[in-house]
Amino acid sequence: MTNFRVPGKGRVDQRRPVTFSFDDKEFTAAKGDTVASALLANGVHLMGRSFKYHRPRGPVAAGSEEPNALIGTRRGKGQFEPNTRATVQEVYKGLAATSQNKFPNLKFDIGEINDKAYMLLSAGFYYKTFMWPRSFWDKVYEPFIRAAAGLGVSPTEEDPDHYASRYLHTDVLVVGAGPAGLAAARSAAEAGLRVTLVDENSEAGGTLLSEPQALIEGAPAWDWLAAELAALTDLGVKIMTRTTAIGYYHQNMVGLCEKLTDYVATPEANIPRERMWRVRAGQVILAQGALEKPLVFDGNDRPGVMLAGSAQTYLNRYGVRVGDRAVVVTSHDSAYHAAFDLVESGTAIRAIVDTRAMPPEDLVSQARIRSILVLTGHTVTGTSGRLRVKSVRVNPVRDGWVGEARELLCDCVLMSGGWTPSLHLFSHTKGSLKWDAEQQTFLPDRMTEACLIAGAGRGLWGIEAALTDGAEMGAVAARELGKPIEAKRLTVEQDRTGTGESNTELPSDLSQGKARAFVDYQNDVTAKDLRLAVREGMRSIEHVKRYTTNGMATDQGKMSNINGLNIASDALGKPQPQVGLTTFRPPYTPTSFGAFAGYHRGDHFEATRKTPIDIWAEENGAAFEPVSQWRRAWYFPRAGETMDAAVQRECKATRESVGMFDASTLGKIEVTGPDAVEFMNRMYTNPWTKLQPGRARYGLLLGDDGFIRDDGVIGRLSQDRFHVTTTTGGAARVLNMMEDYLQTEWPDLKVWLTSTTEQWATIALNGPNARKVIEPFVEGLDISAEAFPHMSVAECTVAGFPARLFRISFTGELGFEINVPARHGLELWETLYAAGRPYDLCTYGTETMHVLRAEKGYIIVGQDTDGTVTPFDAGIGWAVGKAKPDFVGMRALKRPDLVADGRKQLVGLLTEDSTTKLEEGAQIVLDPAQPVPMKMVGHVTSSYHSVAAGRPIAMALIAGGHGRMGETVHIPMPDGVIRATVTSPVFYDPEGARLAI
Amino acid sequence: MTQLPTHFESGQLSATSAARVTVVEPMARFSLRAGQGDVTAISEALDLALPTKIGQRTKAGATEAMCLGPDEWVIIAPDSEAVRLESACTAIYDQAPHSLTAISDREITVRIDGPRAADLLTLGCPRDLDAILPNEGRRTVFDGVTVVLWRDAEQEFRLDVWRSFAPHALSLLVTGCTELALE
Repeated sequence: MTNFRVPGKGRVDQRRPVTFSFDDKEFTAAKGDTVASALLANGVHLMGRSFKYHRPRGPVAAGSEEPNALIGTRRGKGQFEPNTRATVQEVYKGLAATSQNKFPNLKFDIGEINDKAYMLLSAGFYYKTFMWPRSFWDKVYEPFIRAAAGLGVSPTEEDPDHYASRYLHTDVLVVGAGPAGLAAARSAAEAGLRVTLVDENSEAGGTLLSEPQALIEGAPAWDWLAAELAALTDLGVKIMTRTTAIGYYHQNMVGLCEKLTDYVATPEANIPRERMWRVRAGQVILAQGALEKPLVFDGNDRPGVMLAGSAQTYLNRYGVRVGDRAVVVTSHDSAYHAAFDLVESGTAIRAIVDTRAMPPEDLVSQARIRSILVLTGHTVTGTSGRLRVKSVRVNPVRDGWVGEARELLCDCVLMSGGWTPSLHLFSHTKGSLKWDAEQQTFLPDRMTEACLIAGAGRGLWGIEAALTDGAEMGAVAARELGKPIEAKRLTVEQDRTGTGESNTELPSDLSQGKARAFVDYQNDVTAKDLRLAVREGMRSIEHVKRYTTNGMATDQGKMSNINGLNIASDALGKPQPQVGLTTFRPPYTPTSFGAFAGYHRGDHFEATRKTPIDIWAEENGAAFEPVSQWRRAWYFPRAGETMDAAVQRECKATRESVGMFDASTLGKIEVTGPDAVEFMNRMYTNPWTKLQPGRARYGLLLGDDGFIRDDGVIGRLSQDRFHVTTTTGGAARVLNMMEDYLQTEWPDLKVWLTSTTEQWATIALNGPNARKVIEPFVEGLDISAEAFPHMSVAECTVAGFPARLFRISFTGELGFEINVPARHGLELWETLYAAGRPYDLCTYGTETMHVLRAEKGYIIVGQDTDGTVTPFDAGIGWAVGKAKPDFVGMRALKRPDLVADGRKQLVGLLTEDSTTKLEEGAQIVLDPAQPVPMKMVGHVTSSYHSVAAGRPIAMALIAGGHGRMGETVHIPMPDGVIRATVTSPVFYDPEGARLAI
Repeated sequence: MTQLPTHFESGQLSATSAARVTVVEPMARFSLRAGQGDVTAISEALDLALPTKIGQRTKAGATEAMCLGPDEWVIIAPDSEAVRLESACTAIYDQAPHSLTAISDREITVRIDGPRAADLLTLGCPRDLDAILPNEGRRTVFDGVTVVLWRDAEQEFRLDVWRSFAPHALSLLVTGCTELALE
């Protein structure tokens, strides 16, 4: 195998070989290599196939902007990642990398047929081709396109890795640890600020890593870098490498994704793979540098064609020559330096082909000294070679005329179309850009955040310029934060400054219609596609982008956007700023879902709230159901018992003797103060003034639209203190609503609200024997039927615990609800459970609770109401205080549409055959013979098998329901129409005799 | 992730070279709400100068108060003090109306200490901890859950978490103890 490693060169450790595999073939890398640099060192350029045409591709860049060299990596089961950039992935021992988008293999790929059919697959191809017949879209076209499209293969196994996240507050966040970022961090740190410096690369240094020739303050660049990093660390700067600033959000919140294990051969099991940092910074300094632009010419995507600056990086940072015989094609001075570096390392430069007629004289003469042929005023019109470039075709251009072609043999083409400031993060802030006509690029203009841009990111070129600007921006940030400091100036020798020209696609003597001149490599968009989009009527760059997909791939148009804009603006005959630039969106580079999820997966996905009694339910085999954030015991099945059987048993036991229920999740709000009763009068529909301390009442809460929001029993503990209960799911909402009114509408009221939901564990005992079970444990209170009637509340002691005891019922049976401080809930439950044994006490869950209350026609807010139901619709108009001057929702209840006839009203439904249980949510019609679509007059809200009624029962909202008692309605179902009779929703003990026991 | 039970006994949940997380013994805890005009009277009744700046704390004997909002304080005290505090408040209720509500059982309290205690909190707390000085505190969130944070020293904190959210919030602290120890 050919070896392109240059001994003694680069920052990789050539004495420490690392083996890895690519497409199952073993390769040797040096420690510090990326997959791309290691494969290039082994003479391999072919690393992938393109997305649409399946053209052979190799790396065109050396960093995260790489569009072509996308690979899959796999460490073990579930640890597969598609679309990893080979130019970023560091090699570790045993890394298994694979190429993508190929079948059966990378060198011979059937999909390459698309490339031959390129004339058919132009921009807008899908929109035009798959329009007719319309019916084919769902079944034929879309599944086919979806199967054929996509980069890489989605992982199918569960990811076993850990992901982490942290918050970080810093005075100054510097993004990019090149010369500008280093200098900015230095200024800010010397001002005494908390400074964080991040870089996506495996080491800090940026450009300095690729330009070791520079002398900073007389020291070689790499020596200066090492000393500077040590100095920054001493100053307390937090330096984070392998950390990408992925997004810049409001108020200087920046998301960072830190890679922790992807470069380690055998990571410690508990170390997270990636960590998301949510950074809040006083000032953000963006020092992200600039990205090199490709030149757009026919065949500019063949393996071996790459950016000149990247070739320089491979050589100086990784010690890898990208080929033996190079042709450099450029419109910018910087490529000359790449050529000179390569010559010195033994790569022959066949020619430097400059599109400019008059490149700088000193560069041309330096090339001549090195015996390099310089062809000025030339264009590139094609390349040859299938899996690797073999030659490049160049022609002179004079006064717009393209002259005769000549073929230059080579194994790599190094191109430079100039440099584009990297403004992705700045774009996330919606900061505005201005077009710089001289540099032919966009530069940052107006800021919307506390943000500064330093160095090449604002069009400055050269190490000294970047250092100076960085130091200055660091000082500006320090001044903004009230710590003024003087910026230091550093001198740099052997700096490489330069200028260039910007181009559209390069001129050619061949048909541009047949040229495969790529603008967006990742989405296979050519210059021809862009011009076609303009011809077909796209005027805005946003439309051109969507029609051609230029810049829409995972690389977010890092290389393609400016070239695409230049071509579109040329085709439109308008200057670039009038055509506009598309918006960059986060993340800056592809980011794993794991990093976004962080700790929130599996059991920790979100908080599951459990009551103090939950553990007993779990130990006693309860089935659970989620109710808002809580998990609640649903029913307690005995061995082999179905849910229906368990629920029927629990219902029967409760009605015949006694049942016990964990009601701890009920929301509880303590309302205290001299104006507590006035506040209650204003919030709830019911009158509260005459409710005596020691008594309780059903309370109904409306929104200001007059619709039911929440309900619950409310006890008056003393003149100035109410114990309010809410629904389980409504607790936080109701408290917020109350606080909202209190703070914004009635700040004059002397009343305060405290959430006590979790202060109390609540145990409900229901059934004719309920009193017998608890009576022996109650101290300081007579709970006889006469002394403590239905709807009473008192503070007392139960089983030795301080308690708030309610006599209330949500089942229609004699009922008590005992509230004790939460830490005692479990013990009280166990005590009562043991004491209830003589009465066959049965624990029941939420399902039985639902059935028992439905038998009594008690509503559940959110099940029998849906936010459009008034108290009168629900048949509980009795809870609305008629004589009250006002309450939330009172005015709305008088609105014409809320008092109109024909509103949906809550009724009972009994199926005519007495055996069929209706389905909750089923629609109801009056005439089943009407044509489809039928007029639906309502729906079933609750439906259960009722032991007490001896048949299925249901509740429903039906238009004009209260006036339809005894009428037959119809419920069409897939297997037939069910007939049901409209009834009262109270199916059991309508007189309420059982409550009075 | 570490799974924690719903029932917490006092004692250590996790201890690594980075940090320790310990469930502390329950104490009496009250939520006090009162208008600004009545703060002085209540302070005198409680024999504890209520702090008036959000995040500030004051202490008298073993009774401690933190200001959580313009009209809101949390007061903690040994169980034996609970009755005295309640009666003191009841005695001046007519003169200085307020709300004193027992919330001793609403929250679980954990102590977080160790060389990287502050870093451990950054796993879930979006506040700038440098801005919360020792002997201050804040109501804030941890891992999406409302908490009251007490900073007792540079690397010593207490966290009050609502009981049902505690397994979720504390499991992240336990995970973090391990994670930080590996750095």
